Amino acid sequence: MKYYKFGNKNGRYIGSNNKYDVYENTIASKIPENNAIIEKKPYEIYFNYGPSAGGLRESVNFSIVTPGETIRDITVNSHYKRRKIKIINDDINNALLKIERINGFHTASNTVCFLLAIEDALDIDNTGSNDKRIIEIELERIRSNIDVIKGLCESAGFSVPEKQLLYLREKITRIISDTFNHRYFFSANQINNVCGNFNKIRLNGIYDEFYEIYNSLLESKIFMDRIQENGIVNDINSSGPAARASGYKYDARIDSESLTYDNYNIYTMEEGDTFSRFMVRSNEVLASINIINKLLREIGNGKNNTEIKNNSGEGTARIESPQGDIFYYVNIEDNKIKDLSMVSPSYLNIELFKKAVKNNNILTDFFFVWESFGIWVSELEVDFI
Amino acid sequence: MMWFFKGIKKRIKTENLNDKYKIEYPSALEGKSDYNCPTDAIEDQKWIKEKCIFCERCDLKPTHNQDLYNINRNIPAIFKKSFYLYPIDSGTCGACNTEFDTIFSPQYDTNRFKIFLSNTPRHADALVIMGVYTEGMEKIIENAYDAMPEPKLLIGLGACSISGGIIGKKIGKKFDIEILGCPPSPYTVINAILKARGDVK
Amino acid sequence: MILYYLPLILIFLAAIISYKFNKTGYILTAIASIIFSVFTFKIYDYITYFYLIAAIVWVITSLFSITYSKNYGKWLSPLFILTVAGMMLILYSANFLVFISGWEIMSIPAYLTVAINKKNDIEAYVFMFFSEISTVLIITAGVLSFYYTGTLNFVKINNDIVLLIFAIGAMSKMGLTPFMISEWLPIAHGSAPANSSAIFSATMTLMGVYGITKLALLSPESLYVGILFIVIGIISVLFGALYAYISENMKSLGGFSTIENNGTILSVTGLFVAVNNSILRTFILITIVIYAMAHSIAKTGLFITVGHTGSEYFSEVNNIKDNENSLGKFFILSSLSGLLPSLGGLATWMVIEAFFMTAFLHGPLGVTAIIAGSLIAMGEGFATAAMLKIFYFTNRGNKKHIKYESHIILLNGVILVLLFIISPLIIGRYYISGIPSVLIFNGFMIESKFSNADFGLISPVYIFILILIFTVIAYMIFRKPKIRVSERWNGGIENNEYYNSFVYSNNIRLILKKILRTKYENNELIQTVDLFWLVMIDLAGAYRKISKYIAYKFMNSSISMYLIYMIFAFVLIIIITSVVY
Ligand code: SF4
Ligand code: SF4
Repeated sequence: MKYYKFGNKNGRYIGSNNKYDVYENTIASKIPENNAIIEKKPYEIYFNYGPSAGGLRESVNFSIVTPGETIRDITVNSHYKRRKIKIINDDINNALLKIERINGFHTASNTVCFLLAIEDALDIDNTGSNDKRIIEIELERIRSNIDVIKGLCESAGFSVPEKQLLYLREKITRIISDTFNHRYFFSANQINNVCGNFNKIRLNGIYDEFYEIYNSLLESKIFMDRIQENGIVNDINSSGPAARASGYKYDARIDSESLTYDNYNIYTMEEGDTFSRFMVRSNEVLASINIINKLLREIGNGKNNTEIKNNSGEGTARIESPQGDIFYYVNIEDNKIKDLSMVSPSYLNIELFKKAVKNNNILTDFFFVWESFGIWVSELEVDFI
Repeated sequence: MMWFFKGIKKRIKTENLNDKYKIEYPSALEGKSDYNCPTDAIEDQKWIKEKCIFCERCDLKPTHNQDLYNINRNIPAIFKKSFYLYPIDSGTCGACNTEFDTIFSPQYDTNRFKIFLSNTPRHADALVIMGVYTEGMEKIIENAYDAMPEPKLLIGLGACSISGGIIGKKIGKKFDIEILGCPPSPYTVINAILKARGDVK
Repeated sequence: MILYYLPLILIFLAAIISYKFNKTGYILTAIASIIFSVFTFKIYDYITYFYLIAAIVWVITSLFSITYSKNYGKWLSPLFILTVAGMMLILYSANFLVFISGWEIMSIPAYLTVAINKKNDIEAYVFMFFSEISTVLIITAGVLSFYYTGTLNFVKINNDIVLLIFAIGAMSKMGLTPFMISEWLPIAHGSAPANSSAIFSATMTLMGVYGITKLALLSPESLYVGILFIVIGIISVLFGALYAYISENMKSLGGFSTIENNGTILSVTGLFVAVNNSILRTFILITIVIYAMAHSIAKTGLFITVGHTGSEYFSEVNNIKDNENSLGKFFILSSLSGLLPSLGGLATWMVIEAFFMTAFLHGPLGVTAIIAGSLIAMGEGFATAAMLKIFYFTNRGNKKHIKYESHIILLNGVILVLLFIISPLIIGRYYISGIPSVLIFNGFMIESKFSNADFGLISPVYIFILILIFTVIAYMIFRKPKIRVSERWNGGIENNEYYNSFVYSNNIRLILKKILRTKYENNELIQTVDLFWLVMIDLAGAYRKISKYIAYKFMNSSISMYLIYMIFAFVLIIIITSVVY
């Protein structure tokens, strides 16, 4: 474990899973949360939405306490689609197939982070694939952020930009597919290696198209009205675009050594509302395209040396996934997974979402707030057995 | 109004189903292999497509043929007029959901085939089940199926729901249409439905 | 002569009998009311229309009370009938003296009803406080009238100050601005049993309207008094409708709706006072009576509907549905929402028409009229929302279902529709016409006839027949609807949460945060009650202290007994003086 040690709270909070509370540099044992049930007042009702309803991409249930129109409080029940994945005692290659399928839309971040943890555990020099992995993750970030903004347009009933962004998303997916031979990066990552044909990546067209949509959205008064000053949250325990939208310069691209970016500039906003998150995400799309373009000029296409010396060890990794910090801890014995633990960005984002949505919002704001965090239940509700 | 003109100006072209863009994975695999497949999709050197998650590890060759589906029942003609789908997520990784979403993107524009999304199973013609079996969603899938009017179809989308893929258990239901792949590509989804309705030979 | 006063005698008799036999008392009241209207109603003499209105309300409420008042002890029926008797006296009055005696005989039993019904008697004192303001002002008006004309009789006066003072007095009783800002009327009316609430809201306030109209007919035109009335009326309309919409107590909702309706009537009366064109004036007068008729009868219906549920708050009501009740309720509430085919629809149309026609007079009045007309239309919109709330959330009742009460509710609804259909018969010939070229024959259409450019036209019979025909056609084509009941889809899980009335109206609470002063505090939604109301509670409290002090000092009995004694003494004195006079 080069980057982490077990111990007490140290540095910023990354999130929790059912075993640990994870901080910037330490893994602490978990302090149990208290999930008090929200009592409603006699004049209020529980407004139920989900787990399966139109407008929800994944199965998740919300119970909104409302006296009518305003949201006073909310409970998010995400346990419905909890998956139990048998991964302990698998060998690394087999485990990889399962890690890819924790969150299919963010496979690159998950797999890369998992592999970085393994490389840390087995003490493998992985500098050779650093840049390729960055390209991969930044591509995923572009697609993910576009998807979130698409969600915002959908909530506003803005079909034209929604479809245009959907079009862009598919275009990027095709670039990914051409480069990595799979539309969702499945089977593209190996220990200290990324299989991909990097000279197929052409993003200049995407940059212009996205920039145009982004500017048009900024000009649209209706859209701005809908997303400004709603879902305001400002919390020191936050990560990813949501943190950066309320002024925290939290970014694993800067404060984690698992992947090394050189001189990345963090874009932040102060207000912490849905609009700020929109701004942060949009600008990160543009920034990511620039990062990729720069790296593409530098990398070669050669294969890396994947000689494995050890076959046991403990390792960790933390990188910046599109939604925030993602963290993996692995314990390998005889090339088999002995223990595995991950913290997904959705954990903190869901906490933030809950705070944001009850901060003086009405029911129609709900979708904007939900979409703006880009939460994935699939990565939140997995048990490794 | 401004957006209306912006939309027209952009002139995004929907693609013709015949000049589909080619992908290798997932597509039908051919050949023989002795590889120890992680999902047991190779038995006696032969490929069992329902179980395959297209992990690219064995030496079966991809054919670019994306017609990866099984149609297990005669589909009533009434669905040719309009076909409303209600997706339900049992335990997905998220990729199946996204691919399903993608069939409504301008490139594919599935609405042109009179295929739409429904917001409630009560107005749906087919239930599209994705993901592995999970305890939490079992009852809900049951309820959704009960809430649908007759005639109704069950569609399984993705290796997870049909065979359990590599993640877990399959959904214990008999699907009328099985759409294979992990995740199935948008063309596979569209083709499967069109084929089942008898729109394409 | 004695025959003419027969109803009055009958009704006082009924009050006494009802102490022992309350059923007989109610039936006698109904009979007295019918005789009363037969003796006094004269077609095209619009002031006598008030007699008809009052009689219809009394008949309906008395019939409803037969089963309803069972749960309320033996005092309710004598007090109820005494209130009615007081009103009858008002309607009989030809001079200020009798009017004032009637006014008091009507009011005092009302306080008692509230006091007996509520454990906490603050409501009764608030009610009393505002009523006594009105009495003082009306007496002042009487004195002034005597000063100007030399008699206490109702005769022509050529000074508008009497009307103004009288009207302010009546407004206080009607709960209008500025006496309405605090919610005294809805709270007081809401604190009585439903049958009493009905006559408080439907006829007690009608007496105010009657008085104002009567004096307005005797007074000269006055632009300023008229515009003042219009402004006061409009404010009442808007606030009344808004508060009605957000009210959770069903009877308070009715009370606020009364304020709204009275506001409309007052502003139309203002128009009447301000306009000097005789054709338009008569049209406005007819508007007043038709609107008063619609309001009073439908309001009665609203209160008995609410009474029928057996609860006070929307939240206490639960699941029983009855078609007869629903149909009656539908007509009643559509009348209160100003929708066709009910009398309320016609009345609202006439109000808007009157205001918009007045615009042809130009000048300050014309401008006021246009603005006022639009605001009233807006108020009616809110009223519709409030009425829908009643319609949805009273579809249920937790009391043992009494079929008889449903009959009365249906009867009430049908009366409103019938009156709508026959309305051309009771509106002066001058305003009735037709357009034979489009098959609307003479005698079937109402128009204001003030200017050759009508703002609108209406033909009740045709409307009714068209609605009927379309209903029948729809029925013929579709037959009885085939209903397929299926489980609702609530995200796939069970959830036994129902949309409630509070949630229904919360949008307005939030939109009008500034006016209604809604806010969150410690996760609790708070609606600040008016400062004015708090002051009033203090005043009423002080008033109660003094009364109690006097009561204990001079009479060693309960306060209720003291008040009962007061009424009888008062009644006696009044009757003697008026006979002597
Ligand atoms: S591609 Fe993977 S899953 Fe499919 S048959 Fe080959 S080894 Fe098995
Ligand atoms: S079939 Fe594959 S892509 Fe679809 S949910 Fe399962 S693992 Fe994800």
